[in-house]
Amino acid sequence: MADISLQTYTLVITGAPYSSQAPQTALDFARAAVTAGHQIDRVFLYGDGVHIASALICPPSDEPHWPRLWSEFLAEHQIPAVACVASALRRGLIDSGEQKRYELSAHNVRAPFEIAGLGEWVEAGTCSKVIYFHSGA
Amino acid sequence: MTVLIVIDQAPYGSWSGREGLDMAFSLAAFDQSCALLFSGAGVNWLRAGQQPDGLGQKSVAQNLGAAAIFGVEALYADVQACQRYGLANDAIIAGVTLIAPDQTFMTGFEKVTFAG
Repeated sequence: MADISLQTYTLVITGAPYSSQAPQTALDFARAAVTAGHQIDRVFLYGDGVHIASALICPPSDEPHWPRLWSEFLAEHQIPAVACVASALRRGLIDSGEQKRYELSAHNVRAPFEIAGLGEWVEAGTCSKVIYFHSGA
Repeated sequence: MTVLIVIDQAPYGSWSGREGLDMAFSLAAFDQSCALLFSGAGVNWLRAGQQPDGLGQKSVAQNLGAAAIFGVEALYADVQACQRYGLANDAIIAGVTLIAPDQTFMTGFEKVTFAG
């Protein structure tokens, strides 16, 4: 088998769970990459992809719970995951800081996801290989 | 060292182009060299005289006007897509360079990214 040099990847997910395949494909990639010894330095949720970080998603019990599966994977491998603040606020994905700032009734970001600016994505592009998972629409 | 952000979807019906524009603005704001390419239905972003008030949306052409201020280095449009969408040279907003996005053009960029 050919020797594949070990890489550091940043994953960007722009497709939402349950309306696109993007979060599932990205998780499959992430698991395969980690198993093969590669590093994932962060996961960045952008556009509709921010819905993966919602603590309020309740799929039927016989369907995969993609937000929970993602959370468990991230926690197990201690991979930081960030949802773009502009995308998140537009779509009602709120952390406790934004809840206070906008005087909202609740917050709903699932641990270990955090909300941050696009600067995180810019920084990732300078130091690792960035792979995008889009909705394909 | 330039990143090329590609917008290939028509404005107003989808948010992905606006999110592509935000990516370009962020790169530029962090002093990363970047340019935008409009291809396919995305060339409709460049149509002069857009009046989206009835939709309750801001004009994407007006948003694009900030590109130079942010430091986005160039706005490119696929010349064939412009023809396909009946976009004559005098119907395109100022500051756009028409190109053929062939291999020679694309290999001039370090990275090529779609917003979605």
